Amino acid sequence: MTTPLTLTPGRRPDGTALLTAVGEIDMSNIGSLTRALDDTSGPVVLDLTAVEYLDSAGLNVLFAHADRLELVAPPVLASVLTISGLTELVTVHHVGPDGPPA
Amino acid sequence: MARSDDVEHGLPAAAGDGVFAADPEVGRDLAQVDWAATPLGHPDGWPQSLRTAVSILLSSRFPMWMAWGPQLTFFCNAAYRRDTLGRKYPWALGRPASEVWAEIWGDIGPRIDTVLGTGKATWDEGLLLFVERSGYPEESYHTFSYSPLWDDDGDVVGMLCVVNEETERVIGERRMATLRDLGSDPSVVRTEQEVLSFAGRQLARNRRDLPFALTYLFDDGGAARLVGAAGMPAGHPAAPPLLPAGDPDGVWPVAALARGEATLVQLTGGPFTALPPGDWPDPPVQALVMPLLRQGGAPYGFLVAALNRYRALDQGYRGFVELTAGHIASGIGSARSYEAQQRRAEELAELDRAKTTFFSNISHEFRTPLTLIMGPVAELRGRLAGADPQVRHELELVHRNGLRLGKLVNTLLDFSRIEAGRMRASYEPVDLSAVTAELASVFRSAIDKAGLAFHVDCPPLDEPVHIDRGMWEKVILNLLSNALKFTFEGSIRVTVRAEDGSAVVAVADTGIGVPEAEMPRLFERFHRIEHARSRSNEGSGIGLALVRELIGLHGGTITADSTEGAGTCFTIRLPFGTAHLPAGAAASRAGAPAASAAEPYVQEVLRWLPDDGDGDTRTTAAAGTGAAEPAGAPAPGPAARARVLVADDNTDMREYLTRLLADAGYDVTAVTDGVEALHSIRREAPDLVVSDVMMPRMDGLQLVATLRGDPRTAAVPVLLLSARAGQEASIEGLQAGADDYLVKPFAAAELLARVRANVELSRLRTHHARWRTALVDSLQEAFFVCDEDGSVIEINAAFTDTLGYGPEGLPYAPVHPWWPDAESDPEAHRQVEEAFALLLDRPKGSYTVPVTHRDGHRLWVTATFTDVEDPVTGRRVTVGTFRDVTAEHYAVQRETARAALSTSLSQATSLPEALSGALDELKRLWHAQDVLATVFDGGDTPALTSTDGRLRWEDLPADRRGSLADLRERPPLTPVAEPTGASVLLEHPDGPLVLWIDLGEHRPFTDEDQLLLSLLAGHLAQGLVRAHQIDQQRETAIALQRAILGPSRLPEGFAVRYEPATRPLEVGGDWYDTVALPDGRIGIVVGDCVGRGLEAATVMGQLRSACRALLLQDASPAQTLMALDHFAAGIPGATCTTVFCGVLNPETGHLTYSSAGHPPGILARPDGTTRLLDDGRSLPLAVRPGRARPEGECTLPARATLLLYTDGLVERRRRPLDAGIHQASEAVQQGREVAIDELATDVMTRLAPTGGYDDDVALLLYRHPAPLDMTFPAESSQLAPVRKALRSWLGQCDLPQDTVQDVLVAVGEACANAIEHGHRHSPGETVRLRAEAFAQDLHLVVADTGRWKTPRPELNAHRGRGVALMRAMMQQVTITSGPSGTTVDMHTRIA
Repeated sequence: MTTPLTLTPGRRPDGTALLTAVGEIDMSNIGSLTRALDDTSGPVVLDLTAVEYLDSAGLNVLFAHADRLELVAPPVLASVLTISGLTELVTVHHVGPDGPPA
Repeated sequence: MARSDDVEHGLPAAAGDGVFAADPEVGRDLAQVDWAATPLGHPDGWPQSLRTAVSILLSSRFPMWMAWGPQLTFFCNAAYRRDTLGRKYPWALGRPASEVWAEIWGDIGPRIDTVLGTGKATWDEGLLLFVERSGYPEESYHTFSYSPLWDDDGDVVGMLCVVNEETERVIGERRMATLRDLGSDPSVVRTEQEVLSFAGRQLARNRRDLPFALTYLFDDGGAARLVGAAGMPAGHPAAPPLLPAGDPDGVWPVAALARGEATLVQLTGGPFTALPPGDWPDPPVQALVMPLLRQGGAPYGFLVAALNRYRALDQGYRGFVELTAGHIASGIGSARSYEAQQRRAEELAELDRAKTTFFSNISHEFRTPLTLIMGPVAELRGRLAGADPQVRHELELVHRNGLRLGKLVNTLLDFSRIEAGRMRASYEPVDLSAVTAELASVFRSAIDKAGLAFHVDCPPLDEPVHIDRGMWEKVILNLLSNALKFTFEGSIRVTVRAEDGSAVVAVADTGIGVPEAEMPRLFERFHRIEHARSRSNEGSGIGLALVRELIGLHGGTITADSTEGAGTCFTIRLPFGTAHLPAGAAASRAGAPAASAAEPYVQEVLRWLPDDGDGDTRTTAAAGTGAAEPAGAPAPGPAARARVLVADDNTDMREYLTRLLADAGYDVTAVTDGVEALHSIRREAPDLVVSDVMMPRMDGLQLVATLRGDPRTAAVPVLLLSARAGQEASIEGLQAGADDYLVKPFAAAELLARVRANVELSRLRTHHARWRTALVDSLQEAFFVCDEDGSVIEINAAFTDTLGYGPEGLPYAPVHPWWPDAESDPEAHRQVEEAFALLLDRPKGSYTVPVTHRDGHRLWVTATFTDVEDPVTGRRVTVGTFRDVTAEHYAVQRETARAALSTSLSQATSLPEALSGALDELKRLWHAQDVLATVFDGGDTPALTSTDGRLRWEDLPADRRGSLADLRERPPLTPVAEPTGASVLLEHPDGPLVLWIDLGEHRPFTDEDQLLLSLLAGHLAQGLVRAHQIDQQRETAIALQRAILGPSRLPEGFAVRYEPATRPLEVGGDWYDTVALPDGRIGIVVGDCVGRGLEAATVMGQLRSACRALLLQDASPAQTLMALDHFAAGIPGATCTTVFCGVLNPETGHLTYSSAGHPPGILARPDGTTRLLDDGRSLPLAVRPGRARPEGECTLPARATLLLYTDGLVERRRRPLDAGIHQASEAVQQGREVAIDELATDVMTRLAPTGGYDDDVALLLYRHPAPLDMTFPAESSQLAPVRKALRSWLGQCDLPQDTVQDVLVAVGEACANAIEHGHRHSPGETVRLRAEAFAQDLHLVVADTGRWKTPRPELNAHRGRGVALMRAMMQQVTITSGPSGTTVDMHTRIA
């Protein structure tokens, strides 16, 4: 059994590829995240607003795609992203607990 | 999963599956019951109420069964099956309950009817039921309640039984009680018969486990004798009084038992008909026969234990019988060894007394006939001076041998006197050279005759030496006769010198010498060197031993140097001065020489020598040794010779008078002045004193006046001689009290006439007085007369024998010299002082007091006195007698000491206490400075116990340690006396014990003391064994109580402690309990029964069981306590028990509680504040049964700590309870960052009073929430559920959201690492996560059993990132990797 995670591809109004993740990301399900990212090409916005948990396995995947990623992240993920140094490579839009990107 | 298979059985089975799903195993068996054949019908038609009841039943972990419907159809769960149903499973399922429990239906049927009829629950505690679940009717005990079950319409259609089987507890307690009682006899010393009858009484009290019991002991021939029967009527054929050895047809298998083999005997037929049944309906069918084993020997006998037919002979039962037999065997062992020891000590003491008495008696007995031989012989020698040579020759032979025998007897008597401490020495200052030379000269002719050279080299010494002349004579004469005996050529030399502050006297010879091997035993009594060449083979082997003893009495030493074939030299050293002599024994004056004992020695020596061809023809042995005869004293004459004392300072006149009177047949003693005369008269009153008037120091008139002033000498007649003529002088003399007066010069005839007249007159006059004196002297008891002031003015010979003080010292004014010294022995001095006051005040009376012999040794005398009026003077005097009761006194003292030690030992409740109490007794008995016991228990340093409690082994001086260790090599119970104390070896249960009594000064440890110490040491060894047994029994009792105290497994988050009161007290009635309730909540109970010991523990066990069952039935604390009120009211000793009862929801921390008079719980919040749980309070149990009880409630904040306890933790004398509760609150508050179990230890330690708790303490701690502890397979799919559980637990911990997320990430990384790296190559291993909350700290541990591989470069980034995240999120991360796995340990502070 893998950790529940749904990944929904889409487009932003500006046409940028958008990937919306809901659930938790850990080593048991990074395969699907990797596949979803591999399925897109060019810059992609990964919306993690509804992700409650992200571990270093997930971070590894994000680092691998750092050059083309933009992130939308909730407060609970803020410290993970900062501590791992990902925020230095990737633009991160923080959202409030319920609100739109700040 | 297993249930999914049942789908194949079709719909009906599936419906059953739903009802029975809560337990897969019992459920399956229930599903297979043909329900359609029962009144209940097929399960899918069951009402909801039945389905619910079955579901509750199956999901409970507590033993339950239920009955439903018109036939009371039987259901049960797995726990009931396991504990109670036994072989009846699964047969019983679905059957009518009356059929399932047919054998006990008589007991339980009416109860079930009550439940069904009234709808009210029943309650039974420890009910005895005979169940047949193992193939026989089995004794079993059950605590249970029957509650009604309602159907969907609200009618009672069945009942549910929650049962707790307590068979093990009830039977265990019963057996324990018997074993405890067997060991509870308080007396230490008992005879074998007492031991057996005590054991018999105890066994008879447990006739359930032992329907009957017989004790047989083997006699010497191997036959077994019946010595004890419990529960068996006298004369029953199964208990024959005697079983012959090796009888194959005997009732009991004697032969196997004699070999030490236990046997199980079937009690069928023959002598086993009509056996007593014990406390059961039917008689026993088996008996276990156990040998009474003796360590290292054949069994003492055996115990026949009839077995309870309603219990299987399992390991526990067999162990019980073994322990019982062991108890009896050790009791017999103790009693026998005690009796043997007692006998031996008494025999030894008796032997010792007999020996001394024998020596003393035999010597006396010889002296009387000897005197009667020697007197007539001396007369015959005089009378037959001109007789036929043959007659004279034979007479001489008799005379010589008489002398020799007398000498031997005197020597033996000297010895017995020395032994008994009665040797009277009178030390006077002498010129040792002159005295020694004079003695040597006596031997000169004999030595000359032997052809040896004799050198006497005795120049005068500068200082006098104090000696007893008589003793010194014996010393020198013995040494010289010894030298002559063994010297055949060469010389004998006697020298006297002063050397290093001592006088040194040497007697050297050029004789045969002493072989080196014999040297060590040279001075031993009765030791003779065999086959030595000597002039005579005669000798008792006692001479040198006596010499050494005599010199010892002078404070001197004697040594011998010898070279075989070259000669021997004896060297004596005597100290100058008087410091070494007993106080008061030194006489200041040089007295008249004591009558010489030289003649027998010289006579004996001469007989060894060849004399002019034939020694036997010598006419008079005394010819060459005239010097040895006392001046003026003819051979012993008839007793009627009158004694005359001549006192004159003029030598010529003295000798003239002496010759004149001696020739006239008087026994004359001559002295030089009045003082000497007075001494001589006091020693022995003469028939007449002839005294010059003019003398130095004391003249004749003064002498007369002094004699007349002393009642003892008032009647001695005095004839004064004076050069002063004239009427006045004569009148003066007569006025002074003289009987006659003669003026010099006088005619010899006139003097003799006057003397004769006076003697005759005096004899007439003093006949009565003499008779009285003879009478008094013949008294066995010591006799004395005291004047009004208490001065002793008259004594007899027995007085002198007993105390060493002779008549020459009269009068003895108080304080008498025999009083014990006020300084060194104030207690004894006080006793004598009191007795003396009694003697002065009362007309008559009696007392027993300690006194000091002149030579310093201690005596006890019993004196009787009475007042009389002196018929002559009219003055009041006290006449008394006393006898030496030293031996009786010490016998009484021994008994008293033994009794005191017994009492001390029997009151001790532990081995260390027994030992230290005994040491205190010994210290008191001997007035010792310190008494210490060293047990060589095999440890690095021996275990030391002392009356000075601070002393450690290391503190002892090295030589003391060494001598204590050496003592282990000595035989046990044999005291060793040393100058400052005594020691003895005995057996301690832990190893050899060396006892050292430190008197702290040079005080003699006498033979009496040694005997006493030996007895007491034996007694102590027995007592210690006993205390050791009691210790072991207590340990067992405590272990038993702990076993029935609390749950074997505590829920997470709890910590408990139980501490029995300190050693003098015993186990108690406090308890704690946690009960896991079916709905996930936890019942918490802490209670305190009144009283202590096993009885309180028994009450506690019942209350605890009841409380458990009640909580399971109705999880409301108030309801539970109310029900417990009723229950406790029916149990003796349960009233006034205090209980805190609570029910906790571990998820929310919500706690409802009720307190029956129990101290309030303490809640320590994480913010440092404290709250007392003091709501819901009411009376202790059973004080007002039926009264409603209130309930309190509170919610434990996250990370708060709850403390429940019994009052022993906080209650102290002279301190309000609040202070103790406050102290406990502080302890919990300060420990809020400490793990809960550690905190429990801290609280117990911090609150312990000095010297330990003096009441029982039970304590229970809970910290909310309980730690999360989970183990999961090392698979990544587990990460999400683990995270979920952790998130939920963190929710209970009331943490900031950031912290929750940080913890989730850090733990997630650790778990991922464990899964990925720890078990990469061995999937399926497990990972353990433990999370524990403290007030301000979270502690997280992730542990795996694998090994983290050496990181590979391509994994570095990832791996590094995970660990970096952990470190960033947590305050502290420690990763420990080892062969058994890797542990990540993390802490984070809670803001």
